Amino acid sequence: MKPPEIDWQKLNTLIESRKTEQWGLIPLLQDIQKAFGFIPPESVEPIADALGLFPAQVQGVITFYSGFSLAPRGKFVLRVCCGTACHVKGGRSILRLVQQDLKLKEGETSPDYQFTLESVACLGACALAPTMMVNREYFGRLSPPKVAGILNYFGKEAQEEE
Amino acid sequence: MKLPAIVCRGGSRTAPTIKGGGLVEAITLTINGKTISCNPELSLLDAALQNGFSIPTLCHHPDLKPFGACRICLVEEEKTGRLMAACVTPAAQNMVIRTDTPRVLSHRRNIVSLMLAAHPESCIVCDKGNRCRLRQVAANLGVGEIRLDPMPSDQMPDQLNPFIYRDLSKCILCGKCIRADHELVVTGAIDYSFRGIRAYPATIQDKPLEKTGCTFCGTCVAVCPTGALTTRSVYKGVPEREVDTVCGFCGVGCRLRLGVTGGLVIEANPSTDTKSVNGATLCVRGHFGHDYLNSSKRLTRPMIRKNGDLEPVSWEEALQETAHRLLMLKEQHGPKSIAFLGSSKCTNEENYLFQKIARSLLKTNNIDNNGYAMGRRLLNCIEKRTDGSGRFHFFAGSLAGLEKIDMVLVIGADPTHSMPVMGYYLKRGAVKGIPIIVVDPRKTELADYSTLWLPVRPGTDADLIHAIAALILEQKSHDISFVERFTEGFRGYADSLASLDLTQICKKTGIAIDSLKKAAALIGHKKIAFVVGDGILKQRSGLEAVEALLNLAMLTGSIAHKGAGFYIPAKENNMIGAWDMGTIPDALPGRRLVDDREARMEWEKAWQTELPAEPGMDLVHMIQAAEKGTLKGLFIMGENPLRSLPQPERLQAAFAKLDLIVVQDILLNETVSNAHIVLPGAAFSEKEGAFINMEGRLQNLTAAVKPPGDARPDLDILITLAQKLGANNPPATLTQVRAEIGGVLSLYAPTARSGQLVWIQKRMRGGSTIPFSPIRTCSQEQPDPAYPHLAVIGSQRYHLGSGTRTSQSARIGAFNTGCGIAVAPEDALKWDVTDGDMIQLTSVVGSLKGKVRIDKKMQPGLVWVPLGDNSNMARCLIGLTPLMDSDSPGWNTCPVLIEKAEEETI
Repeated sequence: MKPPEIDWQKLNTLIESRKTEQWGLIPLLQDIQKAFGFIPPESVEPIADALGLFPAQVQGVITFYSGFSLAPRGKFVLRVCCGTACHVKGGRSILRLVQQDLKLKEGETSPDYQFTLESVACLGACALAPTMMVNREYFGRLSPPKVAGILNYFGKEAQEEE
Repeated sequence: MKLPAIVCRGGSRTAPTIKGGGLVEAITLTINGKTISCNPELSLLDAALQNGFSIPTLCHHPDLKPFGACRICLVEEEKTGRLMAACVTPAAQNMVIRTDTPRVLSHRRNIVSLMLAAHPESCIVCDKGNRCRLRQVAANLGVGEIRLDPMPSDQMPDQLNPFIYRDLSKCILCGKCIRADHELVVTGAIDYSFRGIRAYPATIQDKPLEKTGCTFCGTCVAVCPTGALTTRSVYKGVPEREVDTVCGFCGVGCRLRLGVTGGLVIEANPSTDTKSVNGATLCVRGHFGHDYLNSSKRLTRPMIRKNGDLEPVSWEEALQETAHRLLMLKEQHGPKSIAFLGSSKCTNEENYLFQKIARSLLKTNNIDNNGYAMGRRLLNCIEKRTDGSGRFHFFAGSLAGLEKIDMVLVIGADPTHSMPVMGYYLKRGAVKGIPIIVVDPRKTELADYSTLWLPVRPGTDADLIHAIAALILEQKSHDISFVERFTEGFRGYADSLASLDLTQICKKTGIAIDSLKKAAALIGHKKIAFVVGDGILKQRSGLEAVEALLNLAMLTGSIAHKGAGFYIPAKENNMIGAWDMGTIPDALPGRRLVDDREARMEWEKAWQTELPAEPGMDLVHMIQAAEKGTLKGLFIMGENPLRSLPQPERLQAAFAKLDLIVVQDILLNETVSNAHIVLPGAAFSEKEGAFINMEGRLQNLTAAVKPPGDARPDLDILITLAQKLGANNPPATLTQVRAEIGGVLSLYAPTARSGQLVWIQKRMRGGSTIPFSPIRTCSQEQPDPAYPHLAVIGSQRYHLGSGTRTSQSARIGAFNTGCGIAVAPEDALKWDVTDGDMIQLTSVVGSLKGKVRIDKKMQPGLVWVPLGDNSNMARCLIGLTPLMDSDSPGWNTCPVLIEKAEEETI
């Protein structure tokens, strides 16, 4: 499956609508990230032009925040926590389980653009350790069966979509 | 891209360094037990450094905003026990600071150890050598073994371009390169990517530097504290010694630090002189273009043409022969049969003696220099407009004014290419919010930073300026009090402006009325800095345009106001000095006119001889006289007319008619090959003397090395020649020449010691008024259907002028991406050509072939041909006509026919 086509008209409209001051960079990037699932590298220069920044500066902001991505990501982005509390509670094993199940390494996206796997340093929900997130949804007190259930659920959802 | 702003990340942005400012109450604090008082706006680091304490730094640079990235400048506040980075902490009342407690030192050692753990162990082969700041700081802190697991970086070096070697495994993330790129050079080729341990200074999409906006100015290399950025060079290692001098390329007059090993200049960097015009910056020519100094084409022995070939002879023989033949010509054909071509690249003293030899010994005023080809005749008009003091009335002086003025009008100039360091001033001004209007048929790099770009039709600039002036007058946004007090003839000027037909002008210039109104609104009520370049100075209607601009300057009161006025890019390092020293046909040293009896008598007294009263021939008229056969001998010092002037075949033929061509130069170039006598001179790095830059700054050279072989400093050659020509007691040393110049021209009397700033400035006489000149519209050439397109000729940053010297650099030769004939995409489609295809341009006088470079910034119908490239091929298109004569089509544009050419190597 190919990565999603970029709707240039939509992208340009977004850039036009946020063509304000330089402070508007992050809200604009968030809009693009939300609309396309990633920030197309080709859009960096038009964004820089519109806001009066250097393209390298825009790239710097995009790469600084893990919330932005320059490569297409899966429909479901899994973030497994490996922070201190989760680590103590076996977060690494949870990560390994997910890796085995999805056949993905950290930072990789499945060839069908359904799943992207990331590890993060903390999700801010240490009381629920070990935790992970799928897109904007939290899953806490994970165990191997629970992980299997979650992956199964999202896997099915992915198939249904197709 | 529009105005880029500096995004600051990481460290805080406190503690601005104070510059000037009003009265602020000083504060007192204690550093290492000593009570000091300082300005409250200073950082702790600056306060400590000013008072003689030393604090190690890595990310700090006096020209860059404080950043606080490296933390090596930690100091301890005794009362609170806090550790603070001195560079970003403002000094405060009653602080008690310790810079060297065991705790501070221990923290510094830890920081250096961590940096070294992530640094490759390649110090022995690193080109930064002992100049590495990291190594110095580590050594001073006694950090030898680091006792940490090494964490080598997997970054691969970027070594595709011939100028800069980027080995990011040695990067310590001080951000100096990024900040220099954004704050000083304003190019934005690099910025940090990622964060934390993955962070590194990256180009867009990690492309190699040449695919980004990088101009290879090398500023990042000069500020890099480690070996992460080094110069690619055939020479290895650190130079034996370093010598500060002045760059010999363009008229900005940057202070250079030349690195010398084994009698050779092996590298050039910006000097650390804080009062220099360039600060920490340079351009690609200044940094990498000095390879010609060690070129195999350097002239090392005097030569005389015998039986058709140039044969080495002794200095005695060469100079004796020169003197003998010059005197013979004078005797046989009269003084007017000899002409002298001095140099806008040689020093004041050399030019002074050169014209003195011509005027006092050979009695000819046929003296000129290459400033002619840079539009000097037009500048002369400004001078004459105000009784010879135009320079002090209209010219702005210090380039720093470009960052302080209300607004800038750049017309027919592309300083980002022709004089990059001046371009940095303009771009920095733009970032600070100074509006810039760019008037240029091409969308130049500066247009990206401008508030308004007016793509004027070539040659119609005067009309455009008249229209803007008319609109300003209509809005009544001109400087009424200035006009009343200091000008005359305003009524007539205003009336003729009011009678202009703006619709007609819009049609003629190709600029919409809305754009004109926008420009007038931007200019109204403001003091303006005018940057007027070749596009005007070499244009068909140049005089009309310059007069229109002078009128606009008076209308807006942009005269004698700080920062306002004219900034004329002097393309060559000593164009101003050569002019001041009288290496021109119609003026004596001090720009006093030859036909002014009083001035002549002053110099006659000084030189104890009679001087010819009639102005001599300029450069083009010299060539024309050679063609006619009335000119017999030509003495050329440090110029290469066969490469720099238009119509090479015609020049060749004219030169062939001369009985004597003496060339005093440094490189075996096109002109030397045609000489009868060759005198090897010295480059700027091999002699002493002074240059005057475009600002009027008098700067002294320091000899870094000896001239190669038997070559001699040019002044020595001229002194001996003067003796051979029978001069009475001529000055015999540099000091004596200087004393002689200073004796008459007190402005030039202060013999500046190295580093000391001397300006050629004069207070304006009060009370006088300047007349408005009558409005003259530009004459328009009738389009010739045989030559339907227009070629615009302009400079590019990789070559200076005709490229005689810069083309000797293998590094610049290897890097050819900026060159080629720029063609608009629409035209490329029409002519069925693409990048790299060959096209042929034919004009009335000649033709050239070149590679196509498709450039989105070009306008359809125009092509752009760079100067300096391919033996300066652009000169083949233009006709050698006297600039500014009413029938001269100018040297900057040329109607051409464009055809696709067969593939072949040129």
